[in-house]
Amino acid sequence: MTEPTELTNPLRDPRDRRLPRVPEACALVVFGITGDLARKKLLPAFYDLANRGLLPTNFALLGFARRDWGDGDFIALAEKAARDYARTEWREDVWERLAGNMRFVPGSFDDDEAFDNLTTTLNDMGDTHGIQGNAAFFLSIPPAMFPVVLQQMQRTGLADNDRSGGWRRVVVEKPFGHDLNSAIELNTLVDDVFGWRDVYRIDHYLGKETVQNLLALRFANNLFEPIWNAHYVDSVQITMAEDGGIGSRAAFYDETGAARDVLQNHLLQLLALTAMEEPVQFIPSAIRTEKLKVLRAVTVPEDLDAYAVRGQYEQGWLAGERVAGYQQEKDVPEDSTTETFAAVRLGVETRRWAGVPFYLRTGKRLPRRVTEIALSFSKAPHLPFAKTDTEELGHNQLVVRVQPDEGMTLKFGSKVPGSMMEVRDVSMDFLYGETFTEASPEAYERLLLDVLLGDAMLFPLNEEVEASWDVVDPLEAHWAGAEPHRYRAGEWGPDAADQMLARDGRVWRRP
Amino acid sequence: MTTLWDTTGTAVVKALAAERRAGGAVMSGLALTLVVVVEEKQVAEAEEAARIAASVVPCRMLMVVRRQVDAPVPRLDAEVLIGGRLGPGESIVMRMYGRLAAHAESVVLPLLAPDAPVVTWWHGPPPDVIAHDPLGVFADRRITDSAWMPDPGAALAVRAADFLPGDTDLAWTRTTGWRAALAAALDSVEGTVTGGCVQGDPGTPTAKLLAGWLSARLGCDIDLEPAEKVPGNTAVSGARLDLDTDRVIILQRIDARTVSVHGGAGPDTVVQLPKRNLGDLLGEELRRLDADQPYGEALAAATGASGLTDRSGRRRHVWLDPADQITADQNSAEQNAARA
Repeated sequence: MTEPTELTNPLRDPRDRRLPRVPEACALVVFGITGDLARKKLLPAFYDLANRGLLPTNFALLGFARRDWGDGDFIALAEKAARDYARTEWREDVWERLAGNMRFVPGSFDDDEAFDNLTTTLNDMGDTHGIQGNAAFFLSIPPAMFPVVLQQMQRTGLADNDRSGGWRRVVVEKPFGHDLNSAIELNTLVDDVFGWRDVYRIDHYLGKETVQNLLALRFANNLFEPIWNAHYVDSVQITMAEDGGIGSRAAFYDETGAARDVLQNHLLQLLALTAMEEPVQFIPSAIRTEKLKVLRAVTVPEDLDAYAVRGQYEQGWLAGERVAGYQQEKDVPEDSTTETFAAVRLGVETRRWAGVPFYLRTGKRLPRRVTEIALSFSKAPHLPFAKTDTEELGHNQLVVRVQPDEGMTLKFGSKVPGSMMEVRDVSMDFLYGETFTEASPEAYERLLLDVLLGDAMLFPLNEEVEASWDVVDPLEAHWAGAEPHRYRAGEWGPDAADQMLARDGRVWRRP
Repeated sequence: MTTLWDTTGTAVVKALAAERRAGGAVMSGLALTLVVVVEEKQVAEAEEAARIAASVVPCRMLMVVRRQVDAPVPRLDAEVLIGGRLGPGESIVMRMYGRLAAHAESVVLPLLAPDAPVVTWWHGPPPDVIAHDPLGVFADRRITDSAWMPDPGAALAVRAADFLPGDTDLAWTRTTGWRAALAAALDSVEGTVTGGCVQGDPGTPTAKLLAGWLSARLGCDIDLEPAEKVPGNTAVSGARLDLDTDRVIILQRIDARTVSVHGGAGPDTVVQLPKRNLGDLLGEELRRLDADQPYGEALAAATGASGLTDRSGRRRHVWLDPADQITADQNSAEQNAARA
């Protein structure tokens, strides 16, 4: 595999940060363009990027789907999607320019002719639209279809950097398999066709500003890193709570469950970023190396009964409305044992983290939608105050709020004004929106732009995915066949999850 | 909102503290203090721009209006607002009369947000020598606008002579759109640029800075050719880059919003280049709080000055009595009248 020759543009100056980072001329091909993800996230993200002037002048968007459609139908669908879901204001001229570079290729995935047609269209656009053979392929399709599509791409040479005369990249979405073996199978397949460097796995949590800020917080400051270890940290809680139910994903969700859907990817990626060592350089390979080291050091508890809890919601009240239980949701079997809540205590076996428990939890139909990482620090080794003075003093905490109210909170003890010595917890807040009101781009905007720029910093590597499955597989094996604990919709999970922390003398933070 | 008539700096500090308490949510994450120096006639314009900019970068905005410098009795009027008319942040509009106008810093210094960067923006003719205005001396970034100078053509030479890293000019900010379009046009193009030109109004600092930037980056002479004014009333109407591969890249303004691109790596195309309002320009400036070296280099190339970005150090206030300046202005005005 040869890297395309880099042409240096003298007008691009790294010190000149007013000019936007714009990708080279390229095309994006979306398989499954009529799907939910494409309509609600991808197409609006493209419009937003175009509107912000971040797409190259020569850019083409190709849709591929099994519809008897012409370009016009596709453009109409895209326009509706962009109008409904785009973040930025609607500008007719921006849209017209984008629409002029959109093509639709109809066909099913096993249809050789359709793929030949796609290849020709792409090659033609290389000349007419000046995209110079650069193309990214977004697989917005069920993983079961991957082999067929990838085979077709291999057959037609679509995935071949050398043959196309530019770069070729592929973007895949979770789920990355359903266990270690299927993940390896999938990774091998995709990596074989495209080469591992050109595979971009989207974990949209990593596109969020606050997650990237975690790296700035840890490695740009001298204040936090010295206490970021087992000497000072008592425990870490990572929570991703959703108030919503499973929506229309019943079929997928019932086979997957909370652990595979969220814990395996988002929560473990957040854990990796929290626990990783300092990368030697702020470049993709260095960061991936450190993340991988942490993920491989993650251990599951021996006593899985006590420290791996799964739950399923029952009917209850949430935000003033009565909601159905999981088993009563549409298209869910009445005797389903799929978990909608998972909590687990993990360890990270490194010198930095030995003995520090990492409590991870995720669930649906919890009281509010919130994602946060909370480091709880050990208590001071000695308190010179009388015992009664510090009764209300808890652990010092540093909380990174990933969403909503993006920002950070530092909790520490402070004297209560008055004639008596009394120490109580207070909190200091940093709110992103207060210091930087510039609207943060949608995670998809950022990630798509990174794919086109070839910046792999925020994309998990095949080995990271596999290491994560190594953590989740034993949990799934332990849970297989067992009944999940029940919790009422609108509660913070089952009692068993609280008992899990009570056993360690701790409590869950209420996010 | 608190309005104070004939007041003191101490009272303004207290009024701000009271407003913050009353507001409930105290702004804790102030990123910077923006000091706006403006004449009464332009206050509304500056307020509108500051409001737009504050919605991008929350800041404490201190607007200083110097009035009737020759008034016999110094006087301070102030208006303190949090949220509302002037955007989400904290704003204080101060009108200073008489000798106080020459000592505006005595009111402003205690109002600066603690240890946050200070940006001073002159919305009006900037001082020829920034050190003459104490409000520019303590600022980390200084934003002038050469378009306000009586002779915009000569304005850049004045700025270059006075330049220190951290200075910037809205004439430079106005080039950003063109610079992005030119950089994009040159992406993935083989060859070296050997020459070219910027077409525009040679009287505007914006066109000069654009040509200066191209010359500095490309290492060859990019001339400024006079061109007819185009719709949209912008300073630059087009640009041409000649490459050693016989390729010629031509950008030409079509109308107030769009520019055509010919000769790039792809087929001919059209890019959006709408005119931006003052608030957007100011917002772009406030986003960057470090010195802007590309501006220094462009300014150097546009004026023939050298070593601008190597200059260092901070300015020290140089006393210049505004009353003397008024007399000097009057004298020159009288001379001009006599000549006419």
